Amino acid sequence: MITLLIRIVSLAALLYLVLPLVVIVGSSLTNTSFLAFPPQGLTLTWFGKVITDASYVSSFVTSTVLAAFATAVAILFAVPSALAIARYNFPGKRALSAILMSPLILPHVVLGAALLQYGTAIGLTRNFLALLVGHIVIITPFVLRAVLPQLTEEQKSLEEASADLGGRPVTTFFLVTFPQIRSGILSGAIFAFISSWINVELSIFNTTAELTTIPVKLFNYVQYTIDPTIAAVSAVTILVAALVIIILDFTLGLDVLSERR
Amino acid sequence: MSTTARRVSLLVGLPSLFFLAFFLAPMTVVALASLTDASGNLTFVNYARILLDQYHWDVLWVTFRIGAITTIACVLIGYPLAWYLVRIVDWRPWRRVCVILLIVPLFTSNIVRSFGWMVLLGRNGLVNDSLQTLGLIERPIRFIGIELGIVIGLVYILLPFIVLAVGNSVADVDPSLEQASADLGARPATTFWTVTFPLCLPGLMAGAVMVFMLAVSAYVTPALLSGGRITVFSMLIFQQYSSVFDFNYGGALSITMLVLTLVLVATAGRVGATKGA
Repeated sequence: MITLLIRIVSLAALLYLVLPLVVIVGSSLTNTSFLAFPPQGLTLTWFGKVITDASYVSSFVTSTVLAAFATAVAILFAVPSALAIARYNFPGKRALSAILMSPLILPHVVLGAALLQYGTAIGLTRNFLALLVGHIVIITPFVLRAVLPQLTEEQKSLEEASADLGGRPVTTFFLVTFPQIRSGILSGAIFAFISSWINVELSIFNTTAELTTIPVKLFNYVQYTIDPTIAAVSAVTILVAALVIIILDFTLGLDVLSERR
Repeated sequence: MSTTARRVSLLVGLPSLFFLAFFLAPMTVVALASLTDASGNLTFVNYARILLDQYHWDVLWVTFRIGAITTIACVLIGYPLAWYLVRIVDWRPWRRVCVILLIVPLFTSNIVRSFGWMVLLGRNGLVNDSLQTLGLIERPIRFIGIELGIVIGLVYILLPFIVLAVGNSVADVDPSLEQASADLGARPATTFWTVTFPLCLPGLMAGAVMVFMLAVSAYVTPALLSGGRITVFSMLIFQQYSSVFDFNYGGALSITMLVLTLVLVATAGRVGATKGA
């Protein structure tokens, strides 16, 4: 009886989770010039309009390049920091890890506002670098959080063995440590990349008419008009997300919620 | 300098400097601005303007009420869903599909997801059409512009977080403990409430705190689903920084929001810790 109730709630919840995405993809295929769901007729016209519109293409490119750079820097910051935090005792260690992790719980609007105000003072606003700096701050914790638990004590003894055998720290890192934390870096990097790619709250303070990311462009558009073109842009982002996740499931395995026995 | 000190500074030097320059310094600038007036004199006038004004309290009340309702709804829907995925689904391919359905929204921007609800909840949207066809309502309900609309959108966006947090803690429960409870004669409901649920409580609390934080600080979803009729606190901050450019008052708003959320979350964490112990 209770199991039945749980099943009903769960299936309803899953329906609730897919419904908006299905509606957007569906209404992007409509033949009408206004949004209609279920779609009336099927057409790819709106997708054609998006890929031939230079402003959409350039925001897609900006978002992707921004996320790629930010993720690369986040890895370069987070992996060494994780190593230092897991392997050494030094003054200020707790403070350092608290600071590196705190962007996870800080409201992005507050951080975005802070960076805008600070950027105005030091002359770093409304350009690619200003966007990049903010994105690095918010996504570094994702990589750090994924890598830290993988730097276990057992692994530390492997590293010590390598050092005893004469391996220099750099050699030890690449031959012993790195293979063990590769999956953590990868999963952290994926979350970091996505978080940057979909961010609005931070980016919105530093975008301009010419330099804008795809979520910010969508946000500015959706507030005033909704039409099938905007549904098509959204549908592209949904399909890309779904594709990435299915690939991840088949390569890394996303079976995160099975019972561990 | 010892080897350790040299290595540590080599490893954390750059990230520390970066976070000092682009995280701590900006936050300090905001905090200082909130305590000064336009000409740079130390003052509490910005905070007085917020704390002595009924309007700000009303906005805060709306913001935190939406946050609390969202969190409760997420727990009530998320707990059964997590339980279903971990304990009830026994056909692995279906669970894979479910997990994909759970994570795809996480990989899609808040804009796109809120936009989906704008379409669904509109005057002639699917929700109103279905309710009318079923004869449950006579005239379309205006969802956009009432708190319910914002809550529907926020719960939708935050549900995966709580499902993942609870799901992981349910998956970590050692089945032999439940077995032992059953062997000692406890009925399934007793076992659940005295063994399983307390073991999942830390995961549930962590998920709920995260949902609450994200719900009260959300900007995009309320902005799109409020239809300009409801104001939440993050909108006040955004206004100051995007159009009014009053950084002193804006800074005080930012700090107020930050402090209030952190205090509430710390309190929730403390209550959770004592209950869980």
